[in-house]
Amino acid sequence: MSELILEAGAVAKTFGIGPARIPVLRAVDLALAAGESLAIRGESGSGKSTLLHLLAGLDVPDAGWIRWGASAPDPARRSRYLGLVFQSFHLVPELDALGNVLLAARMLGAPDVATRQRAEALLGQVGLAGRARHLPAQLSGGERQRVAVARALINRPRLLLADEPTGNLDEHTGEAVIDLLVGLCAATGTALVLVTHNAAHAARCRSTRTLHEGVLH
Amino acid sequence: MPWYLYLALRQLFPAGRRFPFFTAISVLGVALGVGVLIIVTSVMGGFGHEIRRMIVRTEGEIQVKAKGLIEDPAAVLAAIRGAPGVVGASPFVEGPVAALAANRPAFPLLRGIDPVSVGSVAELGRYVRAGSLDELDDDSVILSWQVAEQLGAGLGSSVELYSPLLFERLKQDEVILPRRFRVVGLFEIGHQHLDSSLAFTTLRAAQELYGLGRSVHGINVRLAPGRDEVAALPAVNRVLPPGIEALPWTRKWESFLWVLNLEKTITAFLLLFIVVIAAFSVMSSLLISVVRKTREIGLLGALGASRRGVALCFCAQAFLIGVTGTLLGLAGGFTVLAWRNELVRLIARGLGREETLRQFYHFTDLPAHTLPADLILTVVAAVVISTLAGLLPAWRASRLKPVEALRSE
Repeated sequence: MSELILEAGAVAKTFGIGPARIPVLRAVDLALAAGESLAIRGESGSGKSTLLHLLAGLDVPDAGWIRWGASAPDPARRSRYLGLVFQSFHLVPELDALGNVLLAARMLGAPDVATRQRAEALLGQVGLAGRARHLPAQLSGGERQRVAVARALINRPRLLLADEPTGNLDEHTGEAVIDLLVGLCAATGTALVLVTHNAAHAARCRSTRTLHEGVLH
Repeated sequence: MPWYLYLALRQLFPAGRRFPFFTAISVLGVALGVGVLIIVTSVMGGFGHEIRRMIVRTEGEIQVKAKGLIEDPAAVLAAIRGAPGVVGASPFVEGPVAALAANRPAFPLLRGIDPVSVGSVAELGRYVRAGSLDELDDDSVILSWQVAEQLGAGLGSSVELYSPLLFERLKQDEVILPRRFRVVGLFEIGHQHLDSSLAFTTLRAAQELYGLGRSVHGINVRLAPGRDEVAALPAVNRVLPPGIEALPWTRKWESFLWVLNLEKTITAFLLLFIVVIAAFSVMSSLLISVVRKTREIGLLGALGASRRGVALCFCAQAFLIGVTGTLLGLAGGFTVLAWRNELVRLIARGLGREETLRQFYHFTDLPAHTLPADLILTVVAAVVISTLAGLLPAWRASRLKPVEALRSE
């Protein structure tokens, strides 16, 4: 069996205070090996984003456990171990496309020539070779999301977590972004967790699971 | 370059975008404070520098004094002139006198100078506005402009001088007659303290007035250009006989220099509040930035930035605002200083007060002298205060949880 990149067992998360506490995740189990892709579907408010934040180590579960490979999520390892793609792109407006991609690399130290070349190559792979010096405000929504994908992959992560990456895009552009995500992950052997509403997009992943009433089916 | 410094630079000076408004206001605030500080401390330093030059030009850098009198000035003078770094030495007698001219009294400090050697120490000639130093003999005086005004005396006037020795003799029922002197010159040094109460006569005349015989009160010493008086002091002291000591000019003027320095320090301290207020502007603009960029801060956390890194990003912004504002302030301040005389003349002309300026301030050019210590202190204070202003925004930014920051609307 391939090396496990991501594991979660009996993960539970509750929000609210006192009697108004709402369990969002009850007992989530999942495992993802290198090169695998998993789509997580579910209704709005079902806890998909919450699960993704827990898997990314941005939040901590009330119960259960999560492993990145052999160890627990560690913020210090995050920039090297995983890449994140958000629905709202979250690009830094003051940085151009290349600067945004390199920002993730800068978290690991000043980028060398090879890293710069890799960032430019990634922008080329996402179809933005000629837009490297454009600011986010000068890019369309689809282009911004492609910059975000390139940024998520710049550090050669073992795991890529994408939270509704096509949520703010039209169907055609969304398709293109999913093509990129799935294609690049497959090409680089990066494990992918894709949170999406879209059945067609989910179908592009090797497996699909649905989050319903706090349990991953 | 660490990511937080890179991002701070980019956020303050984004490529291809307008200079952010809040950043501009903060930078201008710091620049204004630094500029005003540099201008004011330089002009005050200029006045201090001018006063120092006036004092040194009239008294030399070092004064040699005995506990009582220097009884063999010729021997001491010869020894001092042989000390390294000394280019001139001249004896003096100095003391208060009562002066009377046409029944108008004044009480100047009379300084007896040796007309032969005084030129090697002091540049008195440059301050004589009427008459001539060369005409000074044992029966004449040169008065400061203000003393002459008090006495109602002018060139050629007759002035009677009473020394304390004459009063002492009066106690012994001796008949005292004042010495009559002819005014052969009027001087104006430009320093209120010196101009208000000084008169010169020859050393011999002053020795007679004080009954000193051949003794003198002290010897003024001039050093070679560029020699520091404190550094040269031990060499001069080594050649002096016991009981006679060489002191720097700063010792005699210690209280005056202290007051001058205090004035400058208090002014600089008060003006520093402009930088403090600018620092509040830096703080508020960065706090606004923390609110506006909450999601970006969340993103940084999601990308792997530590809390320390996020805090450093905001501290770096405050630091960069401080550095930029300081550089701008220095540029502005030194530009104003370079054009200060034109500006002063323009203002005086605008107010129709050119003559008043000349009459009361005794200068046609505004002096300015920037001490390296003042410059360093201003730069360090401005940058440190600005950087400290970034601490609160940095702390608030670092406290944001990435997951909550990313969800914020």
